[in-house]
Amino acid sequence: MSSKQVKLGGESRPAVPSENALLELSGVTKRFGGLAAVQEVNLIIRPREIVSVIGPNGAGKTTVFNLITGLYVPTTGEIRFDGKSIVKLSPDRIVQAGITRTFQNIRLFNNMTVLENVLVGQHTLLKAGVFGSLFRPPYVIHEEEKARERAVELLGFFGTTLLERQEEYVMNLSYADRRRVEIARALAANPKLLLLDEPTAGMNENETLEAVKYIRRLRDELGLTILLIEHKLAVTMGMSDHIAVLDYGRKIADGLPEEVRNDERVIAAYLGRQTKEDAAEE
Amino acid sequence: MSINSRWLRVESDTRKLLMKWLVALLVPVAIFTFLWSGEAIENNVFLGIVAPATSLYTSSAVFYAAIFIVIFYATVIALAGYLVAADSDRRNPIEVWIDLLFYVVLPMLYIIVTSNLLIGLSLSAITWGIYFFARKRVRDLLHYNPPALLEEVQVLDEQQKANMMNRARAGGFWFATAFAVISLIVDVIFFLSGSLPSVLLIWVIVRTILLPVAGYFLGQLGGSVALKRVITQNENGNGNGEKSEQRGFGWRRNVAQVSKKQQLEHLSKSRAREEAKDFVPNDLPLQSKGASRFYLTLLGLVVLFYPVIDPILFGSGTKGRITSYGDLGYYVILALGLNIVVGFAGLLDLGYVAFFVIGTYAWALVGSTQFTVLTGIVTNPQFVSWLFWPMIIIAALIAAAWGVLLGAPTLRLRGDYLAIVTLGFGEIIPAFFLNLDKYTGGINGISGIYRPATPCIQPFFCVDWNGFDPTPYYYLILVLIFLCIFANVRLRDSRLGRAWVAIREDEIAASSSGINLVNTKLFAFAAGAFFSGVAGIYHAAKLGTIAPTDFNSNDSFIFLAMVVIGGLGSIPGVIVGAVVVYAINLLILAQLDTFAADPTNFLHVFPQYIPNFTFSNIRNLLFGIILISIMIFRPEGLIPSARRRRELHRAPDAELIEVGALDEPPGSAAFEAEVPVE
Amino acid sequence: MELFLSLLVVGLATGAIYALIALGYTMVYGIIELINFAHSDIFMIGTFVTITLEGLFGITSDSPPKSITSDLILRLVLIGIGAFLVCALLGVIIERIAYKPLRNAPRLAPLISAIGVSLILQDVGKLWKGSTDVSFPNLPTPSIRVGAINIDSVNIFVIVIAVLLMVGLQFLITRTRIGRAMRAVAQDRDAAALMGVDVDRIITFTFFIGAGLAGAAGCIYGLKFPNTVFNIGFQLGLIAFTAAVLGGIGNIVGAMVGGLVVGLITSLISLLPDTVLPHGGNAWNNAIIFAILILILVFRPSGLLGQQAPEKV
Repeated sequence: MSSKQVKLGGESRPAVPSENALLELSGVTKRFGGLAAVQEVNLIIRPREIVSVIGPNGAGKTTVFNLITGLYVPTTGEIRFDGKSIVKLSPDRIVQAGITRTFQNIRLFNNMTVLENVLVGQHTLLKAGVFGSLFRPPYVIHEEEKARERAVELLGFFGTTLLERQEEYVMNLSYADRRRVEIARALAANPKLLLLDEPTAGMNENETLEAVKYIRRLRDELGLTILLIEHKLAVTMGMSDHIAVLDYGRKIADGLPEEVRNDERVIAAYLGRQTKEDAAEE
Repeated sequence: MSINSRWLRVESDTRKLLMKWLVALLVPVAIFTFLWSGEAIENNVFLGIVAPATSLYTSSAVFYAAIFIVIFYATVIALAGYLVAADSDRRNPIEVWIDLLFYVVLPMLYIIVTSNLLIGLSLSAITWGIYFFARKRVRDLLHYNPPALLEEVQVLDEQQKANMMNRARAGGFWFATAFAVISLIVDVIFFLSGSLPSVLLIWVIVRTILLPVAGYFLGQLGGSVALKRVITQNENGNGNGEKSEQRGFGWRRNVAQVSKKQQLEHLSKSRAREEAKDFVPNDLPLQSKGASRFYLTLLGLVVLFYPVIDPILFGSGTKGRITSYGDLGYYVILALGLNIVVGFAGLLDLGYVAFFVIGTYAWALVGSTQFTVLTGIVTNPQFVSWLFWPMIIIAALIAAAWGVLLGAPTLRLRGDYLAIVTLGFGEIIPAFFLNLDKYTGGINGISGIYRPATPCIQPFFCVDWNGFDPTPYYYLILVLIFLCIFANVRLRDSRLGRAWVAIREDEIAASSSGINLVNTKLFAFAAGAFFSGVAGIYHAAKLGTIAPTDFNSNDSFIFLAMVVIGGLGSIPGVIVGAVVVYAINLLILAQLDTFAADPTNFLHVFPQYIPNFTFSNIRNLLFGIILISIMIFRPEGLIPSARRRRELHRAPDAELIEVGALDEPPGSAAFEAEVPVE
Repeated sequence: MELFLSLLVVGLATGAIYALIALGYTMVYGIIELINFAHSDIFMIGTFVTITLEGLFGITSDSPPKSITSDLILRLVLIGIGAFLVCALLGVIIERIAYKPLRNAPRLAPLISAIGVSLILQDVGKLWKGSTDVSFPNLPTPSIRVGAINIDSVNIFVIVIAVLLMVGLQFLITRTRIGRAMRAVAQDRDAAALMGVDVDRIITFTFFIGAGLAGAAGCIYGLKFPNTVFNIGFQLGLIAFTAAVLGGIGNIVGAMVGGLVVGLITSLISLLPDTVLPHGGNAWNNAIIFAILILILVFRPSGLLGQQAPEKV
């Protein structure tokens, strides 16, 4: 489970390029006009790893997510998923390839119920088109039934709370529940890689512990690979197989949690900024 | 089965319910029967059976009218049973009576007075708009809040269910009895005053005995409908029943532990209220799903039997009315089609008329001598008339194909731009047909378009499409409308329908959940165009002549108004919207103009003092005012879909971010410049 | 060649009018991201107001002025100002009644409301001056010889006046305080509010100016063209909007450039003979302009000069 790319104090090049990597970013750069939000970022994620991307605000973490999921197109560089380049794919094709995500600010379909949100997540798995919807041949009825069952099942992953609220409109749920629904929706597409953008943002200590538990279960019980952006260092240190650190769009460290924690450059990048942020969050 | 006499003695609280609903229902039914023509219909039916010479009906009319009357009154009596059973009796009877006054009695009175169904209905719709507005103001003024709706749903045990059934039977029985007594008294008065033929006395007696008996059983029917919507104590599982008990292991087993009842317990207030509406007993049984079944039955009957009962309800002029209803029909189809584009998918299409024109020309170019002009092949009109039926699908497909053609480059544009572009379509396409006169007949249009043909099997079934009888077209459009409603409902409740709602809510999230934005929008566009094509071919065949100057962009606005006024995304809403707009557009204004031309009428002041004034001239003015008012005061429309009402009236929440349509599709270069994705 | 040059001038003059209308579209869009459907109908009202004011000043179709006198010019200027003010006021009223209440509604709502306003204005026009073409009084327009060609002097007038107005607008936007506030609100409404800008007032003022320019355009249109009609707004609106998009929606200079370009294109289209397009170029004018609009929106949606707002990252 440990990463082979332990190299500290600077950028790491992958030890063996593309060897059984699930997701590989090579030299990914993204410029907006004159500003480079992400520069020459390399990253390797192997199957069933939990990898964290951390860094001060504005370091480019969400931009990396957006690049992976097809919302942005890299200015230069390559992104390979399962060996194939996904750089030119639109976000829906990327979901089909097996990558889904959640958003920092939670983007659920507010006027739909919990169940409906998760059903939408299964959009790529279902095959009913216009004719299927109109005539409802047996295969469509069957797949809708299965989809419902599966959606309910996925809600059950989080215990009974979401199950009890499956017909509730998402906008009426608590914040922690909405996060869970968003993850359930992302799971619905049967992804291989799940991108979680600040999954514990806004949660108190108990909720955070809960979240850490179910994120681990996502890997342990569902076999997912997880890439997450996280600000709470305690969370990332405890959970990740390896951690990539970004600062001003560049990757400044990548390695095991203990190593990253003690890396001078990482400390320097956070120094002064981290204490203020942590205090604000607590 | 012996009739249990226990239910004849009613407890006091049942008596209250009975009073409430008997009065509520008897008033409209009495109006229909005595002020209007219910009485006339039943009398003539009976006469038709016993003494055919004296009846106003032909034998076939007797048959249909008889079925109509039987089902009509049976439905109302069963409804009475349902309502008495389903009401939780928390709501003030006066409120219920006022509601019924506005929703049922007033429309009936309008229709009776104006002698025109459409005008009556649109006047009602307008009154409802004013009523909503006024009621809100009055309530604010009186600081009156209607009692909060039931937030919990009662769980019933066997005893309570039996009570409910008893109440239903009591409701049906007493309503039928009351109605029988009233009818008896009225008929006796008529008889004594000499207007009732003695032969009908037999019917009076039969009826007075029959009704209470029927009431018992029909009440039971109403009760069983109510019981279907009840939550009982021993209900377990969440719809899958026993199946989910043994499935799965670990966390998958959680599913089995949560029952429907538990779900209802955990719902938030607003959501619980919504669910509570569908289960009985509840506070608003009139608006519950069970009651809707009854209304729809009634409505379906009236629509189905209309050509037969129109002469009785309104006297002469049936043909003219049915012709106009046939035209209204294609407005309804257009509204349903536009509803998919604007209501479901949220794409503002201002050029919808373009596809309608394509549909009309599709048939006109094939089903007329223009075909010979185009291709040089001479066709046999009899033969081509048969082609009408496959051409319905083909013309619609052609329109849909154009929808795809026009939509593919433009649907990636965001809302405002799409609107302008579609507006352009609405201008350009008719212009094409106008200018390519070598092929399309140009400004003179095409005339002599063939009518449909059906097999003629004397004497059972022989329909004349060429004559002056509009009835075949009426039934044709009914069938088409039914198919369109069916398609609409299917689409709405499908994977595609969910994708449309998702796109409306948040395009980025939708795209990131695997929905291809352009394709999904294209489907909506094409589906809308398909319906438009259907309406087009129908219109061409019915009217027989078309010209490109018949259509302009203004019509697109009219179609949009139908959907907006009725309620975006709401299928019953847009149908009502179509009726209202059609009535205003073609009937009311023309009628007002006739009044205004008469110097003795007070409306004459308008053309007298305002230059260039005709009521037809101010049509756009009226629609403009209506559109703006609706957007400001009731954007969800007259009969909103539940989703829309929620979308438009929820309290602003600081946490939620309003996301509109995207300028650029995600993944393109311009997207990143535009949209900050956090 | 002569034909070409004189068409060029005519095209520029027409384009100048389009530009004035396009400015209104672009300004409103820049500030509240709404396509004001009713804008071109305000232009139509402007033409009607012009005719009425001309009548008040004694300039009518029955007794048109015979020559250009300073008196005539003064009256025309006053009429122009009058048209500007009336339409500006109309724009403000429309904004208050139909758009302001919907500022926080989903985007579909103000669009539909704008359509409603457009419908109302069209019928007002119908009631005011009827359903058929209404003629402007003929104004004397001597021919001027410039180089090798003859130009109707009215074209020069139109271009000059339009340019003056556009320069004035540019000055307002870039050199005055209120102009700065307008640009701020267009870029970032919340930040501008935080800086103390009264956003409501600025939006109203934007409508004032935009609608006023449409009114002025209406007056100028009356100098050059013989007729107007109640639905001229609809016919010209599409063209003016294309001009705004061509130049880059939200971009003031873009609207000016776009207008001129579209004017030139219209001129060139009228050259197309029967053989190329049935019924000649004029019948296909709208279709061609519209096709251009679609091409721009699909291939270069930011227009020629791009958006004024900087990239949001």
